[in-house]
Amino acid sequence: MRHTVYLVHYMSNGTQNGAEVFENLRLELRRGCLTLAVLTQLRTERYGYTLRKALADDGLEIDEGTLYPLLRRLESQGLLVSQWREEDKRNKRFYRLSEMGTTVLQQLLYEWGRINSSLERILQEA
Amino acid sequence: MELLDSYLRAVRRYLPRSQRDDIVAELRDELHQQIDTRQEELGRPLRDTEEMKLLKDYGDPMTVARRYRQNDRSLTIGWELIGPELFPMYLIILGLNLSLALGFTVLIFLYLRQPLGLWVLFRTGLIQVLVVTLTFTILNLIRRKYPQPWYYPPAELATMIPIAPWCSISGICIWSVFSLWWTLVPVYPNLLFGSAANSLALAPAWHRFFWPILLLLAAGIAQRSVNLARPKWSSLLPISRLVINAVALGLQYPMIKSFPYVLVAGAAPDAAHAKQIADAFNGTILWGVLSWMWIYHLISVAIYAWYSAPHLRRWLQRRHQAIRMTQEINGVL
Repeated sequence: MRHTVYLVHYMSNGTQNGAEVFENLRLELRRGCLTLAVLTQLRTERYGYTLRKALADDGLEIDEGTLYPLLRRLESQGLLVSQWREEDKRNKRFYRLSEMGTTVLQQLLYEWGRINSSLERILQEA
Repeated sequence: MELLDSYLRAVRRYLPRSQRDDIVAELRDELHQQIDTRQEELGRPLRDTEEMKLLKDYGDPMTVARRYRQNDRSLTIGWELIGPELFPMYLIILGLNLSLALGFTVLIFLYLRQPLGLWVLFRTGLIQVLVVTLTFTILNLIRRKYPQPWYYPPAELATMIPIAPWCSISGICIWSVFSLWWTLVPVYPNLLFGSAANSLALAPAWHRFFWPILLLLAAGIAQRSVNLARPKWSSLLPISRLVINAVALGLQYPMIKSFPYVLVAGAAPDAAHAKQIADAFNGTILWGVLSWMWIYHLISVAIYAWYSAPHLRRWLQRRHQAIRMTQEINGVL
C-alpha cells in the first residue's frame, strides 16, 4: 500500500514538472521570437496598440504587460526610437527602428534564417 | 474615467521614479484604446463594473509595475526575499529606521552620561536591519500570494464595493461585547475595578457621558447590522462612521475637562491605598485612553470624509440628472 502511494505521488509530481519544464522552454523560445517579430514590425512606425494588433493579426498574440516593457528595453538598448505625437485627439507614443536597430535586425534575421534551415535539416534527418 | 485614474495612480506608486509619467501616459493610452474597442463592440459606453473587469484583467498594479522593473535591484538569497517593486521602499524605510534608532541611542547614552560602545550601536543597527528585512519579506510573500486589489485606495470605487459580511459580523461581535461591558459597569463596578470595587466609585463624569457613549456604540452596531442584511448599501458605512467619529471627537474635550473619572468610595476601608488606586485609574484613563483618543477620532473623521466624498459626488450627479430630466419632460409637455 505504501509503495502505491509513493508511486502515485512520484507520477503526479513528474507530470507537473514536465508541464512546468515545457512552459519554461516555450516562454524562452517565444521570448527571442517576440523580440524579432517586434523589431520586424517596427520597420514601419507604430504605437503600442496598433503594434499589438498587427502582431495578433499575424498569429502572434502578445499581452500588453509583455509588450510595453519589451519596447522600453529595446529602446534603452538603442534599437528603437520613440516619439510622443497626437493622433485622434490623444497623445500616443510612436516607435520605430533606429539606425542601429535596422543593422541589428538584419543580423538577427540572418541568424534566424541560419538556425531555421539547420533545424529543418536536423528534423528531416530525424 | 474615475476608475482608470484610480488604477493608474495605483500602478504609478510602484514604477521606477524616473519613468513614472512616461509609462503611465502610455498605459493610459493603451487602456483608453481597449475601452474604446470594447465600447465599439457593445455599441454603448462601458458600465463601471465592465470597466472594472477590464482593468482587473489587465493585472493588479504591482504586477503591472513589476514588469517594468525586471532589471531593478532586489534582495535575493536563493529565493526572492524582497522584490524589485518593494526594494526602493525597503531601502528608504531601512535608512530611516537606522538613522532614528542610532540617533536616539546616541542621544540617550549622552543624556545618561554612559559610555557608548561600538557593540551597542552594532546591536541596535542589526536589530533594525533584521526587523525591517523580515517585515518586508513577509510583505513580499503576502503580495506574491495575494495580489494587491487594484481598487486601493478604495474611495473612488467605494460606491461599487459591497460591505464584506465578515467585516460586519466581526464588528457586531466586538462592539456588542464592549457595549454590554459598558452598560454593566455602573451596576457591577467590579467589571472595571476588579477586587478594588469596594474602595472605588465612578465619578459623576462617568454618568454624564454614559448615554452619549452608549448611543454611539449602538449606532455603530446598527450600521453593521444593516450592512450585514444589505451589503450593497455601501454608503451607509462611511457616512455613519463619519458622523459617529465626529460626535465622539466633539465629546473628547468635555470628557478630558471632566477629570477625575474615578473617586474613592466613602466606605473605603483603607482611604490612602484607595486614593493610590484611584489615581492609577484616573491616570490610565486620561493619559492611556483620552489623550490619544482624539487623534484616533480626528484621523477617522478625515478618512471617512474621504470615503464619503465619492458617495456624495454620485448622489449629486444623480440629483442633477433627475432635475435635468424633469426639466426636459416639462419642456416636452
